[in-house]
Amino acid sequence: EDSCVRLAGFCASISSNESFSPVTVNTSGCQDAAISETHLTLALPGRIESWHGQLGHGGLISEEEPRTVEALWGMTMRSVAAGGWHSICVGGGDLYVWGWNESGQLGLPSRGLRKDEELHEEVFISIQAFPALVDVSPSCEISTVSCGSRHTAAVTTGYLYTWGWEYGQLGHQTTSSLDEPQCVEFFRNENLHVVDVVCGSWNTFTAAVKK
Amino acid sequence: MQLCGSVMWQRGTNISWCSSSLSECFCCVTRSRAVLRRPGYDGIYTVYEAIRERRTFVSSMASLWSKISAILPPTEEQFPLQFSDKVALSVVEMLKRARQQLYGDATSASSRILTAQIILDYSWERLNTGTWRHVDKEWRRVYSYGCLFKAAAICRRSPSEEEILQAIRTCDMGLLMGAAIMENILQVIVRILQREIRTLAKEEDAHENIEAKKRKIASPHVGLIKDELSVPRIKCPSLESFNANYLLPLKPVILEGIIDHWPALNQHPWSIEYLRSVAGCRTVPVEVGSRYTDEDWSQTLLTVNEFIDRYILNEVQDSESDHKAVGYLAQHQLFDQIPELKEDIRIPDYCCLGEDDEDDITVNAWFGPKGTVSPLHQDPQQNFLAQVVGNKYIRLYSPEDTEKLYPHQSQLLHNTSQVEVESPDAERFPEFVKAPYLECVLRSGDVLFIPVKYWHYVRSLEISFSVSFWWS
Repeated sequence: EDSCVRLAGFCASISSNESFSPVTVNTSGCQDAAISETHLTLALPGRIESWHGQLGHGGLISEEEPRTVEALWGMTMRSVAAGGWHSICVGGGDLYVWGWNESGQLGLPSRGLRKDEELHEEVFISIQAFPALVDVSPSCEISTVSCGSRHTAAVTTGYLYTWGWEYGQLGHQTTSSLDEPQCVEFFRNENLHVVDVVCGSWNTFTAAVKK
Repeated sequence: MQLCGSVMWQRGTNISWCSSSLSECFCCVTRSRAVLRRPGYDGIYTVYEAIRERRTFVSSMASLWSKISAILPPTEEQFPLQFSDKVALSVVEMLKRARQQLYGDATSASSRILTAQIILDYSWERLNTGTWRHVDKEWRRVYSYGCLFKAAAICRRSPSEEEILQAIRTCDMGLLMGAAIMENILQVIVRILQREIRTLAKEEDAHENIEAKKRKIASPHVGLIKDELSVPRIKCPSLESFNANYLLPLKPVILEGIIDHWPALNQHPWSIEYLRSVAGCRTVPVEVGSRYTDEDWSQTLLTVNEFIDRYILNEVQDSESDHKAVGYLAQHQLFDQIPELKEDIRIPDYCCLGEDDEDDITVNAWFGPKGTVSPLHQDPQQNFLAQVVGNKYIRLYSPEDTEKLYPHQSQLLHNTSQVEVESPDAERFPEFVKAPYLECVLRSGDVLFIPVKYWHYVRSLEISFSVSFWWS
């Protein structure tokens, strides 16, 4: 709806009981909402609100009420997506990520994905408690994002980038998880222009048109 | 070529015969003294266990799968896969596929492992969603089945020593995170796998013993405990006198002489070498960081060998930090996971003064290097803290003085004091120095009675292994 987000189902954080009739969360002007099994994130003019789960407030405690992600205050956020244990949002053409990164789903260096020899070099991030900016591709605006359980997909100007946990859902014809956004070459090779992406838990669905 | 043909093991109608050549086999040497032993804990009849160690690597590995399949249900139809409707049908289909692959011969090892891994990954996500308390037990059972299928797949075709260790790690994950299935079959499998590893490790033992002697633990310089502040000590009190003088009035006391009979202090003295031999390849949870109230405190999973190397003996340098990180195998029900160690300890008789059944008493292991600290905190049950190896400095505050101890406000840490006991911040916590306390150095063989809700602070003075009994 225009001004409210209605939730129905099991709301463990809002009340301690199951709620089977819609519960109204008063959030006027909501432009986008993303829900996953663990948390709900809303994109409102000028702010992102999130609670219960991977929240971006700098801590690891559940929140019972929607709370503004202060690090992104003042920026207009166009869209938001929630994965199993992470969240991302798009504002000003940039991508912001926060939450768990044990499978590289944030696109930040993840210890579990690196071989032993490389372990001493970089700073690894397993939990990103505040939103961080991620460079998906040089000088390309992000148009759509979506999150699966532990992977992320982003559409730029006609290209699809995926990263995170891999069981085939990244589409790179390999079986290794990635902690850096990588372009899905298939669409380039087939002369396809990617227009949209939606992720299921362990899979990815894309809409593309012939160039 | 004539084959030996002696019975190697037998279970029901399944029998395995020695297929070595008669002239090369060691069976023929002792065949006249062959004895069919009754099944042990794992239900295996073994005939020539002593001789088995001298067999070639290949033939002993081939029989590993025989041993494992002997403890599995004989047919696919008899393999139970019952779940409540909390488990999605697609997952049950995956489990059935894994079962089919287990009993079929046509599948490749990588297919079997992939099916098992899918079951593990899917249930893992359920285990990591929401709070642990609310995770449905059915998902933990699914996770255990995943571990079973994966371990079986690894051990199918002549696994290397590294692969057997991987299978043990897999079973341990099932024991730690899953829920018991098929009469705790993961425990049975681990026992079989550990036996294989021990057989392989026999040659390396002699060399290690020499090294071990060099690592004798030096006795620490212990600060003097003031007499008027020391916890009273009593040797082997009667049940009645303990009850009247300490339990009912909730007064702390050190009981001496009550664990002298423990095998851990007699027949199997707990040493680093002994712990390695009994549990070296087993995976356990380890707390890393100086104390659990610190920001950089975390938990990780390590094998006992890795834990000993890295945190007890400090042989592996942590290149990231300038100072050595403290690791503590703390508050873990090790004795449920490793039954051999459970046989080395006993539940103190005085626990019968409580209302609990023996099965309800929580037994935890606390094993760590010098310098592990448990911040001042209280527990909701009575506690017997038995010191097996090493010394610990312990300070006790009465629950009557709780306001002077400044407990944390948060729900998570409300049973923990904010004060650093051995260097209190007098500005932030002015009342703390006024709080009366008792202190002691708990030595090997001592048992400290910590009454319910009594605040306690613990710091190890050297390599230490304690066992705690929480009872009501």
